[in-house]
Amino acid sequence: MTTSAHAYSISRSSTASRVAAVAGVLVLIVLVSAPLWAGRADMRLLSEIFLYLSLACLWNLLAGYAGLVSVGQQAFVGFGGYMLFALAIFAGLSPLAAIPLAGLLGAVIAVPVALLIFRLRGAYFAIGTWVIAEVFRLSFAQVSALGGGSGTSLPVAIVRDMASSRSMREATTYWLALAMAVIVLAVIYLLLRSRNGLALTAIRDSELASESFGIDIWRNKFVVYVLTAGLTAMTGALIFLQKLRISPDAAFSVNDWTAFVIFIVVIGGIGTLEGPIIGVIVFFLLRETLSDLGTVYLLILGVVAIAVMLKAPKGLWGTLKERTGLELFPLARRVVKKKS
Amino acid sequence: MTHLRKTLGISRRTFLAGASAGLAAPAILTRTRAYAANPVIKIGHVSPRTGPLAGFAEADDYVLAGIRQALAGGIENNGKTYQVEIISKDSQSNPNRAAEVASELLLGEEVDLIVAASTPDTTNPVSDQAELNEVPCITTDCPWQPYFFGRNGDPQTGFDYTYHFFWGLEDVINAFLDLWQQSGVAKTVGGLFPNDADGNAWGDEIHGFPPALAGEGYALTDPGRYQPLTDDFSSQISAFKEAGCDIITGNMIPPDFATFWAQSAQQGFTPKVVTIGKALLFPSVIESLGDRGDGLTSEIWWSPNHPFSSSLTGVSSKELADGYMAASGRPWTQPIGFKHALFEVATDVIRRSADLEDPNAILEAIQKTKLSTVVGPVDWSNGPVRNVTKTPLVAGQWQKGPNGFDLVITANRSAPFIATTGELKLLS
Repeated sequence: MTTSAHAYSISRSSTASRVAAVAGVLVLIVLVSAPLWAGRADMRLLSEIFLYLSLACLWNLLAGYAGLVSVGQQAFVGFGGYMLFALAIFAGLSPLAAIPLAGLLGAVIAVPVALLIFRLRGAYFAIGTWVIAEVFRLSFAQVSALGGGSGTSLPVAIVRDMASSRSMREATTYWLALAMAVIVLAVIYLLLRSRNGLALTAIRDSELASESFGIDIWRNKFVVYVLTAGLTAMTGALIFLQKLRISPDAAFSVNDWTAFVIFIVVIGGIGTLEGPIIGVIVFFLLRETLSDLGTVYLLILGVVAIAVMLKAPKGLWGTLKERTGLELFPLARRVVKKKS
Repeated sequence: MTHLRKTLGISRRTFLAGASAGLAAPAILTRTRAYAANPVIKIGHVSPRTGPLAGFAEADDYVLAGIRQALAGGIENNGKTYQVEIISKDSQSNPNRAAEVASELLLGEEVDLIVAASTPDTTNPVSDQAELNEVPCITTDCPWQPYFFGRNGDPQTGFDYTYHFFWGLEDVINAFLDLWQQSGVAKTVGGLFPNDADGNAWGDEIHGFPPALAGEGYALTDPGRYQPLTDDFSSQISAFKEAGCDIITGNMIPPDFATFWAQSAQQGFTPKVVTIGKALLFPSVIESLGDRGDGLTSEIWWSPNHPFSSSLTGVSSKELADGYMAASGRPWTQPIGFKHALFEVATDVIRRSADLEDPNAILEAIQKTKLSTVVGPVDWSNGPVRNVTKTPLVAGQWQKGPNGFDLVITANRSAPFIATTGELKLLS
């Protein structure tokens, strides 16, 4: 009888992840209290960062884990934005109620979309998602009640009615954006730790092998696609609550809602939960310091993307993880020696 | 201080993620708000410096340099001299980005007044942000209907904080009708209106071209809204051919017009007068059309021949345009006058405001503006709706001369004080 069988166990957490969890909670407390210490512009910038973080995490789940490389997520961002405007202007709903409803509608509309484009694979799937987004854009451009191709503004009165005072309204918008990012991170984290997550990780590593283990690939991908669409639509509703104005070109902008998001995920590290967080920080540091340079700024973004893809194809976090095995979100299982 | 906090906010997240400290570039720390002995008034400026609308902003550097020079000594208000800081941001021709930089200016820089110019994609998102954040806002360079109705404006109540000066659809319709009447061609018109902010306003069944043309006895063939950046105008061209249209009008972006005009030539469609809004403003576009650019007609908002001069620097329209051509080596463009006038109005408002610390006092100064600018009089007491005042509009033709294309004023019925400089020639 050997004792070695008892000296080892399977564990998910590590020292790094436990430290990260404590630090994460502390950071969250600091961020929740931002309306007390941050200026209006800082809160606005942080909100934008949270919303981009949500989009990036969702795209990462889609492309990095489920292998669904979509370049048409702007379809759901725009759809969510338009639903917010429609529900607020026509149904008289408060934006606070319209946002989750927009997310629900986004998930509902994603079902027929998924049935259609899941017939396509690889590059054809990517192009297909873009086509869907263009169909959405052209369709909303025909809805004259929502301004058609001209777009429309959210009446200022609707936004003012959200809260009793200006500072309360700004704090509410900020908390909504923060909550969105936390919800997205939590949903993805819990999903990846679940049975479905194990299946997704297997699909990420080898689709063929996982299918031979009896994983229903289609169903797993379908669930991820619909879930992502709903959360992306909710994020879209929040984005356009901040922008106050929506038009088909702005709502379904492939640059703003997909190209930048892919940049963030690729820079940070695709297929890791930490990657999008790193990527969003890098992206906003570049933007806040360089965007006044005009076209040069976009050139620099391109150069950074090329450099990272050549030197660190797994992204910043992917490379770090490869070298150190560091993982802040306890997802991987590892064998650890018991202390006795 | 705001920048410092911004950095802190980011670096906490950096810490969370355990990223290398090298990422937290301290570059953003460099600027903090200076509280000098001389009080400072901040004007935020949003303009499409890059992207498809960049032509509208190509003279920004020249105009802003002139304004900054004129304001170097500050502005006197109630016996106190204020330094003026103009903070200019690029919208990248993107309404999403325009809203974002506007909010950076309003919330981050805490500007006292925000100005913006060039098409509804810039003026409308900036105005919406200013309205919500209760900061006075002045815009120009966008017909007033897409500005006002495009923002769900109600003529009864209007907006509180946002004001606009430019011309409207009724003016462009009048100018075009005047031009066509001189041409003496048959009253059959083909309309090309895209499904975008301008196109929907121009083609509107109530406020746009269709009712106005019908009222003047013109038969309009309108094949419906086309999607911008389409690559096929065959169906429109055959509809115009079938109706025997002698006149083509509409509001297009330059690439769409180039496509339409090339396909018209291929398909043997030869109208006698082609008068298009927006697409034919810039000399570079006309030159890119080669010989087919000769004889096209367009609205003219401003030209070196306009009999106005700057209230700020005293330069005439001609001197302003010549100065730009000498500085840049490029031909003058119409937005130059309006960009200059925008800052004339802003300066005048700051000078007259009863209390520069109070947004409502600045607002009152805007409402009471009576200023003669380089693009004409600006006075919000006599606009078509609250928040809007109109500047004069004429129409004219691109004619090829010995020194390249020249924009000749041929129709001035609604603004006879702007002299015509030539006669209209038919295309075929």
